[in-house]
Amino acid sequence: MSHPQRAAAFTSDAERTTWHDETLWFVRQKRDKAVYAIPEFQELRQLASDIKEHTLSRLDEYLEQFEQNARANGVQVHWAADAEEHNRIVLDIMRGVGATSLVKSKSMLTEECHLNPYLIKNGIAVVDTDLGERIVQLREEAPSHLVLPAIHLKKEDVGETFHVHLGTPKGEKDPQNLTEAARRHLREKFLIGQVAITGVNFAIAETGAVVVCTNEGNADLGVNLAQVHIACMGMEKLIPRTADLGVFTRLLARSATGQPVTTYTSHFAKPAEGRQMHIVIVDNGRTRQLGRPDFRNSLKCIRCGACMNTCPVYRRSGGHSYDFTVPGPIGAILSPNIDMRQHSSLPFASTLCGSCTDVCPVKIDIHAQLYKWRQIIAQEGELPVSKKLGMKLLSSVLARPAIYRFGGKIAREGLRFLPHALTHATAFNPWAKARELPEAPKQSFRDWYQQTVK
Amino acid sequence: MPSRESILAAVRANRPAATPLPPVADFAGEATVEQFTHWLHFIGGQVIRLAPAQPLDQVVRQLYPDATRIASDLIPATVPVDQQTPTEVLEAVDVAVLRGELGVAENGAVWVPEVNMLHRALPMISQHLALVLDHRSIVATMHQAYAAVQHTGNYGVFIAGPSKTADIEQSLVIGAHGARSLVVLLR
Repeated sequence: MSHPQRAAAFTSDAERTTWHDETLWFVRQKRDKAVYAIPEFQELRQLASDIKEHTLSRLDEYLEQFEQNARANGVQVHWAADAEEHNRIVLDIMRGVGATSLVKSKSMLTEECHLNPYLIKNGIAVVDTDLGERIVQLREEAPSHLVLPAIHLKKEDVGETFHVHLGTPKGEKDPQNLTEAARRHLREKFLIGQVAITGVNFAIAETGAVVVCTNEGNADLGVNLAQVHIACMGMEKLIPRTADLGVFTRLLARSATGQPVTTYTSHFAKPAEGRQMHIVIVDNGRTRQLGRPDFRNSLKCIRCGACMNTCPVYRRSGGHSYDFTVPGPIGAILSPNIDMRQHSSLPFASTLCGSCTDVCPVKIDIHAQLYKWRQIIAQEGELPVSKKLGMKLLSSVLARPAIYRFGGKIAREGLRFLPHALTHATAFNPWAKARELPEAPKQSFRDWYQQTVK
Repeated sequence: MPSRESILAAVRANRPAATPLPPVADFAGEATVEQFTHWLHFIGGQVIRLAPAQPLDQVVRQLYPDATRIASDLIPATVPVDQQTPTEVLEAVDVAVLRGELGVAENGAVWVPEVNMLHRALPMISQHLALVLDHRSIVATMHQAYAAVQHTGNYGVFIAGPSKTADIEQSLVIGAHGARSLVVLLR
């Protein structure tokens, strides 16, 4: 299925689509309010972009420095070339300590690697502890947004899920009560979790520490009660200095949700006495992306989600329509690197309005990359037939002035007397699905020009 | 370690031309109690200014009249907590009263290093959290905060307000997994 097909399923519920659109726009507005309060915000964006650019230009050196410092802290560092190796490393660590239960805080990387199904298949009990992630886990769905995993759901949906799985009263839909039920349910899980997995927002080369940002406190609670902490990170999470966190912590939450900072900004460097800490550094296509000059900027992403909140297509098509771990504009430029054939429709899920680029806190040229991916996808012959033939037809018409003039005349005349049901038949004019064609002019510009300007 | 070598080799082959690392950023701002208070209120926390001679335990008792299990190294505690305290004991703590090292005016965050926590899980597992902060240790922005902290140590957290979530229909709910309330006691 392509993005338009999945989006069509989402938009078939017009009321919900409108609600989804407005909810995310509300988050965008909160972002604006937070951003405009910081006079140096644009300078911070440039700094963040420059720091990331520099780090990518010496990534091998920073990775080695980070590894060395983490090891000196007593942390075990693992390297995974792909998702499969990452998953195997995690399972091996768990088996090594004889653990069968796992509490997980938010990690898009482990989603990308499909860690949960792998561990469950191998007999591990996996509990996602971020509230939104837990909701979608109970529903056996994927997150639909980077920072708001359950944004596609209404409180009635969550109430029904909790009624089935947590035993809340039927019809309970008050967010306060539902959150309280989840708090009690997840506290039990925290208390018995043997191993805690977290993602990584930033990895600091000069100290070997990893920084995790949450609002709920689930990462800290999980890690600090478990015997073993496994931090899973994409290799692009590195930044050189602790001081650089000053830039990134000022940008992240403001861009994501409009908060001045996340509730917990946690710095993990050394395991508590008698406990273990592991860091898994994952490539999974990132070195390939680094080698693509047009697209390597996408590795600067700090996963704030601002580009989705502002995207007119994401807001109206929902995260699941992208069918990729990272949805929205940033997902549409990351996914073709992973599998261009499978995700070939995603770079077209954009109006190229550039709003994503405008809000990106690390100045990724998202819309320019979308445009570039389109060209590569066309060159590789991955366009859908309708688009391929349409473009071919169009280019042959535009290249032949006589045919173009003739076609224009036919259209002007035809539109006047052909029945609406025919001109707006969605089977061969999908453009007219929710639009009216303009009234056909009596003459073409060319005719008018020849008549008027002698 | 074959993957380590192959990954590093691929990075070396694919990395872009070197660009300079920008100097450490520093933007000034207002390092005032008013700013700090404004932002902490904004994110759901509370600031209480202590009078110079006001005994801390008396304030805590007034704030949490129903709390029976209090963990602290600043006032007489009813639950002793150290790094070895078992989870069941931690889980039952009503209030933790701990020392904050540094406050950040632009966002209401307070730096709490591991040594101030008694147990790493205490600030999150306790039902309520009170952080005692010297009003002179408020800085303007995160730039000054990291400059002052220098090294973030074995484990340390900037805590900004109570635990919260908006994962159900974007409705803000205070008290997700961590502390249900956060009070900063300024002295």
